[in-house]
Amino acid sequence: MNFLIENWSFVAKGLWMTVRLALVILLFTTLISALFGILATFRQRALRWAIHGYVELFRSIPLIVNVFFIFFGAPMLGLDFTPFAAVTTGLTLWGSANGIEIVRGGLESVPRHQWKSAWALGLRPWQIYLHVIVPQSLRAILPAFTGLLTMLVQATSLGALVGVGEFLKVGQIIIERATVMTGVSPAFSVYGMVLLVYFVICSALSWLSRYLERRLGRPAMRAKGV
Amino acid sequence: MDFDVNYLLAQWPALFAGLLMTLRVSLLAIGFSLLIGVLGGGVRALRVPLLGPAVALYVEVIRNTPILVQLFFIFYGLPAIGLELSLFWSGVLCLSLWAGAYQVENVRGGLATVEWGMHEAAFALSLRPWHYFCLIALPIAFRTSLPAMLNTAISLLKNSSYLQAIGLAELTFVAVDRIATDFRALEMFSAICVLYLALVALLALAAGRLAAHLQRPFRP
Repeated sequence: MNFLIENWSFVAKGLWMTVRLALVILLFTTLISALFGILATFRQRALRWAIHGYVELFRSIPLIVNVFFIFFGAPMLGLDFTPFAAVTTGLTLWGSANGIEIVRGGLESVPRHQWKSAWALGLRPWQIYLHVIVPQSLRAILPAFTGLLTMLVQATSLGALVGVGEFLKVGQIIIERATVMTGVSPAFSVYGMVLLVYFVICSALSWLSRYLERRLGRPAMRAKGV
Repeated sequence: MDFDVNYLLAQWPALFAGLLMTLRVSLLAIGFSLLIGVLGGGVRALRVPLLGPAVALYVEVIRNTPILVQLFFIFYGLPAIGLELSLFWSGVLCLSLWAGAYQVENVRGGLATVEWGMHEAAFALSLRPWHYFCLIALPIAFRTSLPAMLNTAISLLKNSSYLQAIGLAELTFVAVDRIATDFRALEMFSAICVLYLALVALLALAAGRLAAHLQRPFRP
């Protein structure tokens, strides 16, 4: 426990790296999910199958294999990835597979008649998306995306395995140092603290997700007359 | 870069050993996690005082912390306070606890769909609460939550790859170990991706057969 307090600047650096990883991955995941999630609702069958294949593939292979594949495999294809880039790429590929499903599901949850009404009012397709479909689908998308962010924050701990100096890695280094210096391993208390910090961050995000679900879910319930 | 099939064939014995280890850990952990799920889900659904909130806290802790940190806590942290487990059983414990939390929620969700009328009927037939839970509520809940349970089991199977981090010789460990000596990343990772996909497909198939079996009408 005191190990974390004694090394607080080191710990803060690790936490900041975790946050940075999560934010960078969230940014790319959001962009890719929004683009391909919308494309997945289009009529082109080949396009839909391609996106479906991507989603199923990246949701079916273990995340750690995905990250290792990029970390060990990229240099052999002539790409030079830093550990940070490898983790970001791997988690973004995985996160977008989940994100695309969320966006597609959200867009398809908007009732069909909204489309037809907007069409009858003479709106163009992009106007229908922008003014009718997307605002309504956000109700389903936002809570689920906050849930995905919780999973992303947890998944950044994979960085420790390929050598990104994030929170878990910092914990490992502190344990190693303390074991060398004192001869006793503080693994129990340090990993306990690491668990606690992740728990606080992710619980807050989970709570936010549930809050959004309650908050945004209400108007739809009223419309249905419940 | 060429794809060397002969290399993969030569490495098949090592990969197969890894595959068996993955299967052994996963199947044991699936069994234990279902046990945790049924016990925890029952405790939650019956609103047992003290135990109910404790189970809820356990579920929240597991769901809101990375499995990798849980694994390190179990494997490196517990021995520091005198609880030493072997590599294999640390892995089983970690996966069981992780999946158990999700199974608790699955079972609880299934139990919530059992109609209250069932309870009244069981009471009218003078069944004890224990009998009602085991003979009536649980079998019904099991049928409704089977798809969710399958999803958790598949996630567990995929997450068994995290055990690579503590050095258990399962599929991912074997692959990474081979890559460190032979630098054949493309072949190895493609191979284990296919193997994981096959395992997931097998598990889904088995659960599908079970669901079809349970769907059949009851004939004494």
